[in-house]
Amino acid sequence: MEIFLIGVLGGLLALDATSVGQFMISRPLVVGVLAGVVVDQPLLGATIGAILELYLLVSFPAGGSQFPEGATATVVAVASSAGVTGSGVLPLAIGLGLVWGQLGGVSVTLLRQANSKIVEERRDTVSGVSWVVRRHLSAIALDFFRGCLVTVSGVVLGRVGLQALSASWPLEVPSSIGLLLVGGSVSAGIFLRDLGGFRQRRTLFVVGMALGIIGSRVL
Amino acid sequence: MRTRIKSGALTAVFMRSFLVQGSWNYHTMLGSGFAFAMLPGLRSLYQDDEDKLEEPLERHSEHFNAHPYLTGIALGASLRLEADGAGAETVRSFKTAVRGPLGSLGDSLVWATWLPGISVLALAIYWLGLPGSWSALVFLLVFNAGHLGLRIWGFRVGYSEGRDVGRKLKVVDLSGLTARLRRVAVLFLGLLVGVLLGAEGGLASAGLLWGLLSVAGFAVGLLAGHYAWRPAATTLVVSIVLLTTWGLLR
Amino acid sequence: MSIVLFRVDERLLHGQVVIGWGNQLRPDRYLVVDEKLTVSGWEQDLYRLGAAGTEVQFVTPRVAREKLDFWRLDATRSILLTKEISAMGCLAEGGLLAGEKVNLGGIHHGPGRAEFLTYLHLTEDDISELEKLEAEGVEVTARDLPDTHRVNMKTLLKGKWKYS
Repeated sequence: MEIFLIGVLGGLLALDATSVGQFMISRPLVVGVLAGVVVDQPLLGATIGAILELYLLVSFPAGGSQFPEGATATVVAVASSAGVTGSGVLPLAIGLGLVWGQLGGVSVTLLRQANSKIVEERRDTVSGVSWVVRRHLSAIALDFFRGCLVTVSGVVLGRVGLQALSASWPLEVPSSIGLLLVGGSVSAGIFLRDLGGFRQRRTLFVVGMALGIIGSRVL
Repeated sequence: MRTRIKSGALTAVFMRSFLVQGSWNYHTMLGSGFAFAMLPGLRSLYQDDEDKLEEPLERHSEHFNAHPYLTGIALGASLRLEADGAGAETVRSFKTAVRGPLGSLGDSLVWATWLPGISVLALAIYWLGLPGSWSALVFLLVFNAGHLGLRIWGFRVGYSEGRDVGRKLKVVDLSGLTARLRRVAVLFLGLLVGVLLGAEGGLASAGLLWGLLSVAGFAVGLLAGHYAWRPAATTLVVSIVLLTTWGLLR
Repeated sequence: MSIVLFRVDERLLHGQVVIGWGNQLRPDRYLVVDEKLTVSGWEQDLYRLGAAGTEVQFVTPRVAREKLDFWRLDATRSILLTKEISAMGCLAEGGLLAGEKVNLGGIHHGPGRAEFLTYLHLTEDDISELEKLEAEGVEVTARDLPDTHRVNMKTLLKGKWKYS
């Protein structure tokens, strides 16, 4: 029953990313919280979501290029780590999320190739109006099932893997987070470059950084 | 010839613009979704005559692509052109010329600035130690206020201006807005980096080694830009696999 | 040398170019080499809207051939764009682009076009144009964005990498 719910969640969130709405409920930050509630691991869910969000900060779907799919990746990472103990949960979940995000991206590409056929095949018996409606809605339905499938397969595999491997992870929790933040820092650096680079933006950047350090010390 | 489109039909086209990417494909990209979204408006124009609808539906199924939030501009303007009785060629060349700019304006404003900008703000809130649900809520509310505003404005301005929508876009200066928002995003990014350096759950508690490596990672991203993204993600996944293997063999 | 990218892209100045490549390479100017656009003011206005404030010049292939050396020596960093492979071929004639790299971006589906990459649909004529480019000493690769795979001509024409 729970896996069914997770699948439906994965499918719906996958829809939000492209096909329906784009309200960005599908961002890892939000998905982590939602999936955390579903599998009753709200803290872990939020942490996984925040770290994956940091990674996917600078990766966006411009002009139909392939992109890592953050929604299914985060559901898979969070749902796989539910009930698993040991310091390896977080890094393994993130690693799994990154790999599954890429696979999700490939599945989106495959879906879009299938859509190329769906939108061009027309049966003579159908009027133009119902053809336009039918092909569009069936492509959306297909995207939903794709999201479910990618999510469920990831969770089934991930649960077995994380359960088996988490205890042998060699690093302590703070070091594990350190490792994950090294990767996240690369994204932060890319984003600053995208925004104009350090030299051009140093004043605002340094002011923000000072506020951040002070804020983190005060709170 | 000028025909009125019923306001209910306009609303329906606007609502359908949220689904415009539903059948995204490599042959016509948004084409099929564009026709789907135009349908209520075209129905209203051609008084539901299915035979007369064939040709315009075929035309609007042709290749199109833009940022989803700004596609409403093209939908609105195309409805205006259709209602004014503009010829098929005018509609076609308008859509061809407008798809690139609407793509790049939207990508720079939304995907490259607004989305990651609000996202780093929400991440800073999260690493300050506030609950994840708060940061998610802040993200969704702020981001979507801009998102919905842009969609509604775009559709209206498209429908009122028609082919001359370019002139209006120039006056409104979305690029200027993007430039200003980029500065705000820099501030938020700085905030996030500061919080990550100072916060309990961040680099402060991870130790010097990870702190230095993170600075190095940041520098790599800053210098190499997007060329660094894939190698960095791959390196991380490989490190996780190697560390796990080492742990298993130990 | 300060033409930082030669690119063939049917949509010219769209998100992939302005954000993807623009953020990466930071050009001061876009050079759009296209016969028809040089005489269409309203289309130029629309394309300029998408360039995020960066200067855009529209020139015919003939003028571009004359100015190529000037652009190369100029301190202004330019990204040069054409809609079709044939226009790039016209620039390259007589070895003018020898030793340069040409990037293939999006060319979308249409009659007579076969899919080589998800973003690249080529006609028979396109392929012979590509071979001509290589014969003129140009290195042709396909890559839609800086953070995706680069595909060289040989792999491209084998039709590999269909899913990336």
